[in-house]
Amino acid sequence: MSSMILNGDTSGAITVTVPAVAGTNTATLPAATGTVMVSGNMPAFSAYANTNQSIGASTFTKLQINSTATTGFDTNSNYSISNYRFTPTVAGYYQINGAVGYTANPGTYGIATIYKNNSEFLRGTQGSNTNCIVSGIIYFNGSTDYVELWAYASNASTASGVSYLTYFNGSMIRAA
Amino acid sequence: MTLYEKIKSLYPSLENKDFTSVIILQNDSDGKGDYIAKWEHPTLPRPTDEELA
Repeated sequence: MSSMILNGDTSGAITVTVPAVAGTNTATLPAATGTVMVSGNMPAFSAYANTNQSIGASTFTKLQINSTATTGFDTNSNYSISNYRFTPTVAGYYQINGAVGYTANPGTYGIATIYKNNSEFLRGTQGSNTNCIVSGIIYFNGSTDYVELWAYASNASTASGVSYLTYFNGSMIRAA
Repeated sequence: MTLYEKIKSLYPSLENKDFTSVIILQNDSDGKGDYIAKWEHPTLPRPTDEELA
């Protein structure tokens, strides 16, 4: 295996390694200025609710998405299962998705919506649906920006604690 | 009685859609309960704390 080591100006080093596999391969860098993204600096998370949660009538309520275990993951430890928010530490653009599954019809309006920095930012499904979703691309500054998944139901309802019904996930798609 | 129920009793004319747009009630799931995050109804004034007590 061949390697090329690039030493930092003052400390540290990056090693570029070519595996000992037959054949010639080409990696082309674009003629543009930016940060090369690799798996180690592209945070991704997948969290879900593992307990039912009451949603008061006509009240936007932060969902307690409280687990990244089992079917979930949190590659950069950026999701908090205690305050239910994703705060990526790498600046950039992220695809963020969320869903809330109600155990019964939520009434005229069932809504899944993403809050960024404690303000509603991206509203998804809005209708009489037991499964509501929201999805979009959001910029994060890599330090203070965070998102949470919130739910709304016209009638007092229950958000399901089943992992494939109520979930919140996302991944970086482009560096800042 | 919930905050929503108190507001509805004060203003029975409010409709479901009002609570998704001009009036926003929130619960931060922090144990502190419901609160009015936004009140921008074009004709009805925001209830006072005394009215909601």
